[in-house]
Amino acid sequence: MPFQIRGRSFTAVVLQMTGAADAEFYQTLDAKLSQAPHFFTNAPFVIDLDRAVGLNRSGDFTGLVRELRARKLSVIGVQNGTIEQNAGALTAGLITLQGGRDLPPDGAKARSGDESSGEEAEDRPRERPIDRNDRVAAATEAAEPAEIAAGGTVLITEPVRSGQRIFADRGDLVVVASVGSGAELVAHGNVHIYGSMRGRALAGVNGDTSARIFCQSLEAELIAIAGLYKTSDDIGPAAWKQRVQAFLDQDALCVEPLK
Amino acid sequence: MAKIIVVTSGKGGVGKTTSTAAIGAGLAMRGKKTVIIDFDVGLRNLDMIMGCERRVVFDFINVIQGDAKLKQALIKDRRLDNLSILPTSQTRDKDALTRDGVEKVLKELRDEYDYIICDSPAGIERGAHMAMYFADEAVVVTNPEVSSVRDSDRVLGLLSSKSRRAEKGEEPVKPHLLLTRYDPARVAKGEMMKVEDILEILSIPLLGIVPESPAVLKASNLGTPVTLDANSNAGKAYVDAVSRLMGEQIEVRVLPPERRGLFQRLLGRPA
Ligand SMILES: Nc1ncnc2c1ncn2[C@@H]1O[C@H](COP(=O)(O)OP(=O)(O)OP(=O)(O)O)[C@@H](O)[C@H]1O
Ligand SMILES: [Mg+2]
Repeated sequence: MPFQIRGRSFTAVVLQMTGAADAEFYQTLDAKLSQAPHFFTNAPFVIDLDRAVGLNRSGDFTGLVRELRARKLSVIGVQNGTIEQNAGALTAGLITLQGGRDLPPDGAKARSGDESSGEEAEDRPRERPIDRNDRVAAATEAAEPAEIAAGGTVLITEPVRSGQRIFADRGDLVVVASVGSGAELVAHGNVHIYGSMRGRALAGVNGDTSARIFCQSLEAELIAIAGLYKTSDDIGPAAWKQRVQAFLDQDALCVEPLK
Repeated sequence: MAKIIVVTSGKGGVGKTTSTAAIGAGLAMRGKKTVIIDFDVGLRNLDMIMGCERRVVFDFINVIQGDAKLKQALIKDRRLDNLSILPTSQTRDKDALTRDGVEKVLKELRDEYDYIICDSPAGIERGAHMAMYFADEAVVVTNPEVSSVRDSDRVLGLLSSKSRRAEKGEEPVKPHLLLTRYDPARVAKGEMMKVEDILEILSIPLLGIVPESPAVLKASNLGTPVTLDANSNAGKAYVDAVSRLMGEQIEVRVLPPERRGLFQRLLGRPA
């Protein structure tokens, strides 16, 4: 095959418009942009139309897109629009996006190896990220057989080998096999491992601080929840090879035995 | 129709070429028409271990590039009627191994042989990928040490995702674990990993345990596959492994490593 198709999620910047794109709107926008001229360069921009009642005709969107792009804002789509608004946006070359989840205002820092939020997006305001609605569980060197249940849970029944990366980008990741050292599990939700866990597990990678990691036998190189992490050195001998759960308690990553 | 078996490891120097020669010879001794192919372009070790380096005229790459016929490049082993060697080139680089070229050669061999054994180069780059791509089964050669086990795990991941069978969604490549250079004394001292621990990590069936043995070096210096040295424990271990590869159920023995004992040293005889 000359190409490969992968699902990958990115964080986008959402502009919530509260009215028409009039002179006042552009004035305020320019003032904002002048404070941080390069802040939004290369960031995918999505316009939330939930409260943009004044924006209707297709001409409005074509003009808006032209103006935003002139300001180096890479607008890619709209969401929460009416049927007319969506049609207008389509004429202006924009796509309609569904769903999405807001990042926490002071999003957890430094998540290692997480493709879902590029380096650049990391220091931008985390207002309203969007979820690509065509996303699938994406795994580099996919461990077969990955099943995606209705709730977005990804189930892996074969060992996850060194170098493999499994990404549950909508919900939980459940592995009913061992995870080798050098393998990586990444989930927006919880991570469950019913086998030896020798690799890396990252739960709540979109900033969900309530996500947890459950292990049958913890021998992990690294565990992380919402960007807070511990390496095997930090985990300590008490939890080693034990049945444990890891969770966040007031900005501290706790590892406790399962009773 | 031949079974294609790749002998692979990820890590270098663990005994892939030794095992390819030994398994190839073992299968031929059991009456199976076998060809062993060197995928380690640029190094060319297999023909040396097989003792036929002086007989190489054309090689695998010549055949792929249409400069020679397959029949011209295949070398018939002088000891075992059923065994042939397809040597590789020492002067070309790995880019000469094209997928289409490899496929064409394997297709031609498939009708004539019972087993095609591919000696993979170390690493996970092109040569290793081409060696494993068309495989039906894989012998994952592993030494009892952490880095080797981890590289084997990596290779198992590639087999389950980057092989033709994986890409076509067919039944996955069947993996076998071959532990080599196993030394129970060093395992007991904690210097090497235990069989159970390795099996637990890799979770694939065990094909055999080949002990650390001076017979291996001796055999390779002589250009003889160690399987022909029926007195050596390494040779016996490979004979057992070949039987298991052919589907026979045999208990796995941990044969002791061979060192020169006091008596033998006094008598000056090699072990
Ligand atoms: N069971 C054994 N006992 C002692 N020495 C061994 C044994 N198996 C292999 N060796 C030695 O280890 C060295 C490497 O073996 P070999 O060339 O077969 O490895 P390889 O995996 O093919 O290496 P490469 O990755 O470079 O292709 C050789 O010197 C060989 O004689
Ligand atoms: Mg070799």
